[in-house]
Amino acid sequence: MNIEIKLPTALRAFADKKDKVTVNGNDVGSALEELFTTHPRLRQQLMGADGKLRSFVNVYVNDDDARDKQGLATPVKEGDTLLIVPAIAGGSTAELTKPELARYHRHLIMPEVGAEGQKRLKNASVLCVGAGGLGSPLALYLAAAGVGRIGIIDFDVVDESNLQRQIIHDTPSVGTSKLASAKKRLNALNPHVKIETHEARLTSANAVELFKQYDVIADGTDNFATRYLVNDACVLTGRPNAYGSIFRFEGQLAVFGLPDGPCYRCLYPEPPPPGLVPSCAEAGVLGVLPGVIGTMQAIEAIKLILGIGRPLSGRLMLYDALEQSWRTLKVRKNPACPVCSENPAIKAPVDYEAFCGMKEKPAFAIPEMSVQDLKAKLDKKDIFVLLDVREPHEYEIAKIAGSTLIPLGALPDRLGELDKSSKVVVHCKMGGRSAKAVTLLREKGFDAVNVAGGINAWAESIDSSVPRY
Amino acid sequence: MSLRVARAACDLAVRTCEKAFPEEGCGLLIGPIPDGFDRPGRAVAVDEARALPNGWDASSKNNRYLIDPRHLASVESELEGTGRGVVGFFHSHPQVPAWPSPFDLAMSLPCCSYWILRVQDGKAVESRSWQRSEDGRSFIEEEILQEGEQHEHRDKVADRLAGVRR
Repeated sequence: MNIEIKLPTALRAFADKKDKVTVNGNDVGSALEELFTTHPRLRQQLMGADGKLRSFVNVYVNDDDARDKQGLATPVKEGDTLLIVPAIAGGSTAELTKPELARYHRHLIMPEVGAEGQKRLKNASVLCVGAGGLGSPLALYLAAAGVGRIGIIDFDVVDESNLQRQIIHDTPSVGTSKLASAKKRLNALNPHVKIETHEARLTSANAVELFKQYDVIADGTDNFATRYLVNDACVLTGRPNAYGSIFRFEGQLAVFGLPDGPCYRCLYPEPPPPGLVPSCAEAGVLGVLPGVIGTMQAIEAIKLILGIGRPLSGRLMLYDALEQSWRTLKVRKNPACPVCSENPAIKAPVDYEAFCGMKEKPAFAIPEMSVQDLKAKLDKKDIFVLLDVREPHEYEIAKIAGSTLIPLGALPDRLGELDKSSKVVVHCKMGGRSAKAVTLLREKGFDAVNVAGGINAWAESIDSSVPRY
Repeated sequence: MSLRVARAACDLAVRTCEKAFPEEGCGLLIGPIPDGFDRPGRAVAVDEARALPNGWDASSKNNRYLIDPRHLASVESELEGTGRGVVGFFHSHPQVPAWPSPFDLAMSLPCCSYWILRVQDGKAVESRSWQRSEDGRSFIEEEILQEGEQHEHRDKVADRLAGVRR
């Protein structure tokens, strides 16, 4: 089949000055191969060492970009025109200014970093997913080290309960956007770096485009759905993921998504069942812990940028603050990994809430009441049991007068303490554990109702003398 | 080995890059396609420059530029069969020397001229031009000649507009 290939001016000298060449071929790849047979000097200009088109070379089949179709395998037919057009790109390497040379002196005198490495940092970009416990030390150290462009994605506001560990924020920032608070602090720390804020929830729709704008991604998220999304989007965009996570007194650290290394799915193919692993908001976390793990993430991100040392890839580090110990486990790349293997099943981000079982509906809808309804019921002096299913140490911090405490874990054995003939109104801190208690109680024949939002909603809307925690 | 730039083309390139400051400005250099375009040492004469938008995403336009392949394709098709073509590209380096970066090298094409203008605080203060070797490993500097001037007046282009000698 006769296919016409049109060449840009810059490449015609390698094709006997012709602006078009007619070749035979069934697809883009075979047409180009024939072009290279007659004009071999073109191969080096158009193809990379990996046998693929060089990143900036575009081939249009008639008017469509072959990359949007099947790449080199895009079929062509008699009379088609292939248009080879490079995307012309380039730019400057930012040099170090005098104030920067002074600021980064301790880096510059180490040959492993030096001026060359510091320039690399200046020309590099890192995206911090989350401006919370992990994101705080991470972004602070990246900014201090001179990483030229730091992106942060978050959508939360600073809450008083964040300040025990999220050291990028401060007391006057309570109630304001986490991004604004973080940006202010980072700009004050180092005016030479650029802070880009993305006020949004990271979703399957925006992750890939966002990740493409950065060299390294640092995952500081606190939930499994986002963690799998970050992992998959990193693999799909070829960006390494400096991963960290924290729980109570323990932390995890790894680098995922390097070409030869495993990804998070190789380590954990499936998320735990929803509700099995409580969040930090439910289970608590030692405030210093994210300082340890987030700082280690910053070290990995900087090593990746500088290309020095051995990245924490193929290894998972486990930190135990109570034992003050680190353990390193080997993690192998899963040859059948659904996202990072040679024939991945996942080619675009999926629905992570469904994947993590967060959309599964309970067998029946859990009856709920608002804290306002509860207040009205108490004021009317209705007869009912107000059951608190939190832990005793939480009960000490805050309680609603007249409640009975039976922690969720002890409930199945202590059902006998409850009166089956009266209504049971159940609350916990935020409504999660009490929903489980309501399910159990209703299965056992109790008329149980959940208090939406738990004692925190009560403290916020009904009784401000009750502390929120 | 040289890049000869017509006065109007030079003015346009300088204006484009100064206007784009602190971002990088960029565009095409058009002229007759020289014989032996691939030969190190060939002479290129630019009779027209065209400014194009910097297509890089907003976050990095200060040190990156991108010319949309569709813009290039449409100009190439307009010039088809006329003996003229896109013989080079210009872009600016805001606040840093007109020295090609490793990224310029990685993304460059052979034969044509890469004319880099250094824009300091909004003014073009220096310009240098480069031809990439066929093997893609290096850039070789070429002289910039202003239209009608002799060989020895290299880099008059930026001097005239900025009044500063590099």
